[in-house]
Amino acid sequence: MMRKIKASSAQAMLPIDRFARWVLIAVTAFSILLLIGPSLIVIAISFEPRAYIAFPPSGFSTRWYQAVFANQQLLDSILVSVRISLAVMAICLLIGVPAAFASIRGTFRGRAALNAFLLSPQMMPGMVIAIASLFFGAYIAFRASDLMLILSLSVFCLPFVVRIVMARLADLDPLLDEASANLGAGKLETFVRVTLPQLAPAICAASAFTFIEAFDNVTVSLFTSDVRARPLPVELYYLVQFDSSPIIAAISSLEIGLSFVVMLIIAKAVGLERLGR
Amino acid sequence: MSQLVIENVSKGFGTLKVLRDCSLSIAKGSVVTLLGPSGCGKTTLLRSIAGFLIPDAGRILVKGEDISHLPPNRRDVGYVFQNYALFPHLTIRENIGYGLKIRRKPKAFIRQKVEEALGLIAMTPFGDRYPKQLSGGQQQRVAIARSLVLEPEVLLLDEPFNALDAQLRLSMQIELRKLIDRVGITSIFVTHDQQEAMTLSDRIAIMRGGRIEQLGTPLEIYDHPQTPFVADFIGRANLIPVAIRSGRTDSPQPIHSAMPDGPGTLVVRPENLSIAEGPGPGWEGSVGFATALGATIEYEIDCGAGEPLRAVLPRRPGVAPLTPGSRVTARIRDEAAAILLSGSPRP
Repeated sequence: MMRKIKASSAQAMLPIDRFARWVLIAVTAFSILLLIGPSLIVIAISFEPRAYIAFPPSGFSTRWYQAVFANQQLLDSILVSVRISLAVMAICLLIGVPAAFASIRGTFRGRAALNAFLLSPQMMPGMVIAIASLFFGAYIAFRASDLMLILSLSVFCLPFVVRIVMARLADLDPLLDEASANLGAGKLETFVRVTLPQLAPAICAASAFTFIEAFDNVTVSLFTSDVRARPLPVELYYLVQFDSSPIIAAISSLEIGLSFVVMLIIAKAVGLERLGR
Repeated sequence: MSQLVIENVSKGFGTLKVLRDCSLSIAKGSVVTLLGPSGCGKTTLLRSIAGFLIPDAGRILVKGEDISHLPPNRRDVGYVFQNYALFPHLTIRENIGYGLKIRRKPKAFIRQKVEEALGLIAMTPFGDRYPKQLSGGQQQRVAIARSLVLEPEVLLLDEPFNALDAQLRLSMQIELRKLIDRVGITSIFVTHDQQEAMTLSDRIAIMRGGRIEQLGTPLEIYDHPQTPFVADFIGRANLIPVAIRSGRTDSPQPIHSAMPDGPGTLVVRPENLSIAEGPGPGWEGSVGFATALGATIEYEIDCGAGEPLRAVLPRRPGVAPLTPGSRVTARIRDEAAAILLSGSPRP
């Protein structure tokens, strides 16, 4: 005899189903905790009034935030990072967008090889890229400098742009280009009026990711940055070794805030679920 | 003078010959359909006229001017895509105004033209929507308006009804033909649907294997197919292999002919066969299958060798259809309407 099961009511659920559901909830909660927990702890520590790191904080103070903005060396390194990240972003867009075009729309031989080549930095640890850049730089008598850092970070970040733009481009109907040509538009005009507007969200997302990635990358920066103009991640790396005050937590919290704002903007402009594709 | 002339156009992809020496000339304001099975080259010919493909040989002339060497954006030829290819990021108004904007027309002029076009396709209330928010039929009208607003010399339409459901198709076909007549634009359709071709066209070009096999008005082609392929493709036909001997066919019902002796094909439309019960002069056989379609009854008659004959007879209410297995004799009702072609049915 068939037993009627009301799927919607929790009371009719079998014990095993109820158990499975609790396991799922627990695992999800634990994962979220692992992902967000450290950030929350860092943010909490940044408000510690005393001069050493403690959790939970003993009180509430913004003195370490004030300290960040009073520290000329830190502010300088933030400027260096912003400048370098913007340059990396520009280079990655200038190379990545046309490269994505070539690997989606192109019909030339060796397209698959080009594709693999463009995405290969992603398979490599940042450290390897950094050391390779450094050795190669030394070989051609090119020392660690802003330019060196920008170039090595660009190699590191290029796959982000290529992948995001490729994903969007694959969704575009190539017939739209023919339709545009049929209505009288030249190739450049078609690109500007038809292709670019549809790629805009992807380019926007790619820019944001590249900026964040370049901004807080330690491994590559550590090896290839100019010793006199350290970017923020390197500055922080040295700072932690000699200073154990919550100023580190304060500046980390500011970075978390920056990433959060950028992600919010992307989510508004593009929709996060579309980035996953 | 012909609005569009296609002169000996050929096109191949690698070793595959897709178009072989196609010629066609189309008078201003007339509608021609390229009809044929898939792979016959009809879309290739259409894309060559639009400039998306460059033919290997031959010329394409619009109003006497050779446009073969011009890129697509310099040709005065509208193209309606099978999937309409509307710009998803632009509203309906912006889609229709796209070509005028590219041509740097004044804003006021564009606005006026777009409103006129929206009125023409009865879509004014939808002007500010995006393509995604429209039905297939509405999208099709927008795609046509987007081309028409530029007043091209020729309008090309690649299977424009393919994406529509069967119910909508016929009414859209009639609507579109009316619209074309109102605007008076020279048009070429591509389709593989013979009913669509009959509804829309002044003339039909039947294509096969990269060649135009026959060109004529729908009724000319229906009544006087020049090859068994055409006879079978336009409407339905019984293709009966016969031999011609001294001025007549050797079929059970002989047809007179001035053709020289040799193999021939007798083309008989199903509605031109009559059926009598029992043996008699004509094609004797048994009813294999009977389908009552309401106004008509369709019979399949097995006559031993060869393909069964198909006959479509008007249904008389109250009279039961013949049952399968009944012995019958089929005869050509009107010998003048029987078509005799030289050569066997499937060369």
